[in-house]
Amino acid sequence: MSVRQTGRVTRRQLITRGSVLAGALAASRLGARPAFGAGAPEVVFSTDQLIPLQEQEWARTSLMAGFTKTTGIPVRLIAEGDGPYVDRLVAEAKAGHGTISATGALHGLYPIMLSANLIRDMAPLQKQLDAMKDRTFYRDLLAASHMGGMQAFIPWMQATYVFAAAKSSLQYFPNGRNPMRMTYDDLLQWGQNMQKAAGGQRRLGFPVGPNGLYGRFLHGYAYPSFTGAQVERFKSPDAVAMWQYLRRLWGVTHPSSFTYEFMYEPLLSGEVWVAWDHTARLIPALRQRPDDFVVLPSPAGPRGRSFISVIVGLSIPKTAPDPDGGAKLIEYLTRPSTQLATLQGDGFFPVSPQVAKSATSGWVKVVADGVSAQAGAADAHTALLPIGLGARTAEFVPIYTDAFQLIVIQGKNIQDVLNAQAAKLAALYQAQNAVCPPPDPAITPCKPE
Amino acid sequence: MVRSRRAAWVPYLLVLPTFVFLGVFVAYPMVQAFLLGVTDPTTGRVTLDHVAQMTSDLHFAPSVRDTLVITAIAIPLQIALGLAMALLVQSRFAGHSIFLYLCAVPIGISDLAAGLIWLSIFTERGFLNALLFDLGRITQPGPFLTYDRPGWLLAAVVLTEVWRATAIVMLILLSGLQLIPKDYQESAQVFGAGPWQTLRWVTLPLLRGSLQTALIIRTILAFEVFAPVMMLTGRLLPVLAGESYLWYSLYRNPGVASAYGVLILLLSGAFTWTYLRLLRPHPGEVRA
Repeated sequence: MSVRQTGRVTRRQLITRGSVLAGALAASRLGARPAFGAGAPEVVFSTDQLIPLQEQEWARTSLMAGFTKTTGIPVRLIAEGDGPYVDRLVAEAKAGHGTISATGALHGLYPIMLSANLIRDMAPLQKQLDAMKDRTFYRDLLAASHMGGMQAFIPWMQATYVFAAAKSSLQYFPNGRNPMRMTYDDLLQWGQNMQKAAGGQRRLGFPVGPNGLYGRFLHGYAYPSFTGAQVERFKSPDAVAMWQYLRRLWGVTHPSSFTYEFMYEPLLSGEVWVAWDHTARLIPALRQRPDDFVVLPSPAGPRGRSFISVIVGLSIPKTAPDPDGGAKLIEYLTRPSTQLATLQGDGFFPVSPQVAKSATSGWVKVVADGVSAQAGAADAHTALLPIGLGARTAEFVPIYTDAFQLIVIQGKNIQDVLNAQAAKLAALYQAQNAVCPPPDPAITPCKPE
Repeated sequence: MVRSRRAAWVPYLLVLPTFVFLGVFVAYPMVQAFLLGVTDPTTGRVTLDHVAQMTSDLHFAPSVRDTLVITAIAIPLQIALGLAMALLVQSRFAGHSIFLYLCAVPIGISDLAAGLIWLSIFTERGFLNALLFDLGRITQPGPFLTYDRPGWLLAAVVLTEVWRATAIVMLILLSGLQLIPKDYQESAQVFGAGPWQTLRWVTLPLLRGSLQTALIIRTILAFEVFAPVMMLTGRLLPVLAGESYLWYSLYRNPGVASAYGVLILLLSGAFTWTYLRLLRPHPGEVRA
């Protein structure tokens, strides 16, 4: 123990010295550390969120700094992509000696972490939080946090995918139709109208780049809206009709879409006027020019208006060196004031219904209006990210994006491609013995009919 | 007796640190990547599943083809341009040192940044559109890089690669040129050889070693490139290293990612061996 403490002090001194070289900004932050750090060991928090540099800067100087201010415990934030994020937790578990005391990740990663036995049951902590007067959580988020016979995480933040549109493009929206109740036919017509207005240039954009999230549009939006299911009706006649529609939609989609990964960029440059993406990847545009853009709900198809609800949860690793510190950090992150600050700073929505109601100005209101028009529509139904695929979770989306590549870009026969891809889906679900993701019926193992 | 025994050991002692370094940081990861590629992660048995998964993937054949095509076009261009630039600098024209520094700038730029720079030139709101518009050559900006123009995509990638990596070829060849004693060229002139003949029959043969180094380095790096390609073309022009990256980071499958890594290793090895054979010194040849 004493050896470890000595090690920590020398490392801190080293870092402090290095920070002088690293620059004034870093120096001021680290220089302030000893004042808080006296006696209080730091809590290491890892996450697969908050990766863009601006978000990290905000998280360090505002979000985590707020925790340090109230508790005196310094936080070290490690934000990295899904791959390295999980690898780090796995490596600590394998070493039997951890540094991370709290962690926050996408709902979809928790099955992987559960199958590797990395995290603790959060039910006792949830009980403590529920006992606090100011703490409320959406029911569906809590339901999603239960998996494998335990509560895998405490809900932290949520997000969804919506359309953002330049206000000037609304004049091309089909006559007599309501953008807040958009259908897939409206969207196609809108794209065609914009193309005419822009002298042949296509102004609708999707994030089809390698790290873009277009795959989510396919399995969580288009599929359930056209067929009523994500997996179960993968190769049905409804699905064929959907792919025919997607081919026509691609005809009015900006031809640079295959390089887009964050849609706020082409929106701000004016390259596209209407774009679909994750709220966090649209908000930078709204933040810069809140008066120029509107947020619209995703369209409705023959089987309703399907959308994905993204959930980010907090948990404590089994190898946590300081589980109490981790629990304190989780308590702080779920406070109403922190939740509101998270919405303003990072664009993720609160997990508490009470807090959600209190956001009423600026770009926050623009986004909240679009998101609630989507969730509150009479024909709305929620699609959840697939769970239960364990270590093979990441193979799910490529089955859809590869189908897109083959059908829409390469022009292959729709039914042939769907049959081949459906066989891959069936094999994946069979091997993992996993249940269909909502809104599909809860069949195990899931299988396209 | 004692002295000579020590002398026999000294060379081995001197190469030992290099040997250990290469062993730990090159050979060991290489073996590990190979094992990852052929081991079933759950049972630990030897399997060819990852290789089968790799070759049956929709992007596999295009990625092999595109990597080879990009390499086959970009490397000769880089060597030719690099040689021309090195000869130009070697001629010591006025301002040659500024020219050298300007040409060397891309070496200091990361490949991802290089991709970003060229993307910002070619996008619809990019510099090329702005220039053409200002010159009155187009009435409205339009995208150059689109999925229905694979030729443009390939050209943009080759251009970026040439811009990014010609400088390193130039530096290798320039240092090679500086090793060639002036006497040879002077003798050639005495015997009446013109500049072209001197280059063809004196300079180039003496430069063979440097050319070999430049070719090997550039080919190995060309097989590893993916950031600028992905920046400019997304996955419409898949390359081997990019597929390896995506299988690791996006699909979370280290096995298939390693299979791609092993394929890249084999290809690099084959090309290196070919260069070493083709450009090996003739018996009795003098090398600068």
